[in-house]
Amino acid sequence: MIGRIVSFGRRGCEVLEALGRAGQFLAQSAVGIPSREGWYLWLRQVHFVGVLSLAIVLVSGLFIGMVLALQGYTLLVDFGAEQALGQMVALSLLRELSPVVAALLFAGRAGSALTAEIGLMKATEQLTSMEMIGVDPLRRVVAPRLWAGFVALPVLTVGFSVVGIYGGYLVGVEWLGVFEGSYWGNMQGSVDFIGDVGNGMVKSVVFALVVTWIAVFQGYDLVPTSEGISRATTRTVVYSSLAVLGLDFVLTALMFGGFS
Amino acid sequence: MKRSKTMELGVGLFMLAGILGLLFLGMRVSGMAFTAPGDTFRLEANFANIGSLKPRARVTMAGVTVGRVIDIELDADWYDARVVLELDAELEGRLSRDTTASILTAGLLGEQYIGLTVGGDPDTLADGDTIRDTQSAMVLEELIQQFVSNMVSD
Amino acid sequence: MIESPFVVVEGLHFSRGEKDIFRGVELQIPRGQITAILGPSGTGKTTLLKLIGGQLIPDAGCIRIDGEDVHALPRKALFRLRRRMGMLFQSGALFSDLSVFENVAFPLRVHTDLPEAMIRDVALMKLQAVGLRGARDLMPSELSGGMARRVALARAIALDPELILYDEPFVGQDPISKGVLVQLIKRLNDALGLTAIVVSHDIQETLSIADYVYVISDGRVMAQGTPDSLDVDEDPRVSQFVHGEPDGPVPFHYPATDFFSDILNGEGRP
Repeated sequence: MIGRIVSFGRRGCEVLEALGRAGQFLAQSAVGIPSREGWYLWLRQVHFVGVLSLAIVLVSGLFIGMVLALQGYTLLVDFGAEQALGQMVALSLLRELSPVVAALLFAGRAGSALTAEIGLMKATEQLTSMEMIGVDPLRRVVAPRLWAGFVALPVLTVGFSVVGIYGGYLVGVEWLGVFEGSYWGNMQGSVDFIGDVGNGMVKSVVFALVVTWIAVFQGYDLVPTSEGISRATTRTVVYSSLAVLGLDFVLTALMFGGFS
Repeated sequence: MKRSKTMELGVGLFMLAGILGLLFLGMRVSGMAFTAPGDTFRLEANFANIGSLKPRARVTMAGVTVGRVIDIELDADWYDARVVLELDAELEGRLSRDTTASILTAGLLGEQYIGLTVGGDPDTLADGDTIRDTQSAMVLEELIQQFVSNMVSD
Repeated sequence: MIESPFVVVEGLHFSRGEKDIFRGVELQIPRGQITAILGPSGTGKTTLLKLIGGQLIPDAGCIRIDGEDVHALPRKALFRLRRRMGMLFQSGALFSDLSVFENVAFPLRVHTDLPEAMIRDVALMKLQAVGLRGARDLMPSELSGGMARRVALARAIALDPELILYDEPFVGQDPISKGVLVQLIKRLNDALGLTAIVVSHDIQETLSIADYVYVISDGRVMAQGTPDSLDVDEDPRVSQFVHGEPDGPVPFHYPATDFFSDILNGEGRP
């Protein structure tokens, strides 16, 4: 019994220690003064985590918008309220689905790749040799990736919303025959730019920070063996998915829960 | 460091697409209109009950959107709701003085908006005038109450 | 003129987890010479280089490079000191996203404000020195192990360091590239007059170029001397290591109970 409590306590200490390391790591890598070259490194990472994730995010967005319209229509048509379809599609996308689903896709597509890449650089001593050359790998390797993720995910989220709303339009208006004017009109009447689009973007920015942070930290902190890399990659996806869903609840409660 | 033009172009387009997307969400989805203030004029209308009319609701004429509700407040003198409308400037001086404003509902459960119907008065409404002839929102509970009391009195 | 040693290690203690790696190591690395540090695998030779480079912090003792205590320096000064050192890693550790040329130009770009044409000249000079000027446009993944190590060597000397640390430079190389590396290390040392520390367990190659040798075992310096004096050392442990005998004071078997009784008392026997 005592042994179990001891091991529980030890586990707790390990978790706290890891959190402390992660925090210190974030602080050290985020404050780097960007140089001319840093700008270009950042650009390259935006290409890697953003542009290359665009296809999967847009396709998912289109399908989710189409499914929302289909499900929403069958539900709303019972109340004769199918004109409110646009409102339903737009609000569910902007407030919840775009930030969350885009962040989950981002964690799977870009986050795991970041972890594996940094992990491999660590395993092949590239980070150590960079340190020996007198260049701080936190600034050179980690910071551009951190900031690239921070910028790329909100842009992907916007793309997800736009394509999703268009997908809803395709199914709702073109296929199921909802009146086009009321699709857009109802949407415009109910969507508030600050309250809905803005809050969705705030969520997305928070998720971007958390997911990229977890991804680069797991890469930097892993045990440099092939098993360590595969474990860390899995951890990145699991931890960031959980963090996104948990934080989404907290943020939703703060933004829409009426605690203001 | 080796620079790749296609990569730079890709990132540029990516960021541009993000900005355009945000613009789309602003204008097409949340219906923000970036028009100069000179392009609109304002009218006021008092309603006994506005139901669930909200600021930024549409103002229509024959089903065509011609403006938006920009402000709703309680008129403390009359204990009714004063609604400020912002309408397209091209309608200024063309709405007769006896124009009717009614609060309508899109579908049974849809959003509420204001419909304008022109009358026959040769005088016209100018910026800042008040629409006298208004029709309040239809409130379901009141309708049912009326219906029930009619049944009883029959 | 007797110069003070370039690197001094005093009373170095270091442990990882429960395991003591160093228990009071004393080293003096003379200026402008090749000093070899030999020892069986797993004695923490790479750890020693990381301690000298200031990447790990010792539990006790100190390391001074040119009079400066590595571990007492603030971060900025440590990075400035590292600029005077080059290190050749066991795996080469080339940056996999940069070409060979960019790898060699990397230290120049980050530490100097030289114009592009100068950087090009210097980087090509260094590549010429290791005989790989023609491979400048290849990516590290296209190089063989020996070539990667030579490129890494060119990168390590790009800033003309005063001290260069070689971590197992010969491990896993075929005889030809071993020979090439031995020659390169020797020639660089003669031509540039830099101080070199070679950590290795490839005895013949190392002894052929070293001016002075330390043998480390069990966390201590077990023997030291010139290559010739070590070759005839009487200490059985030293002679076992230097002559590569499979069994001796350093046992072939990992500590275990008696083999015979272990077999007889096997578990799960009916």
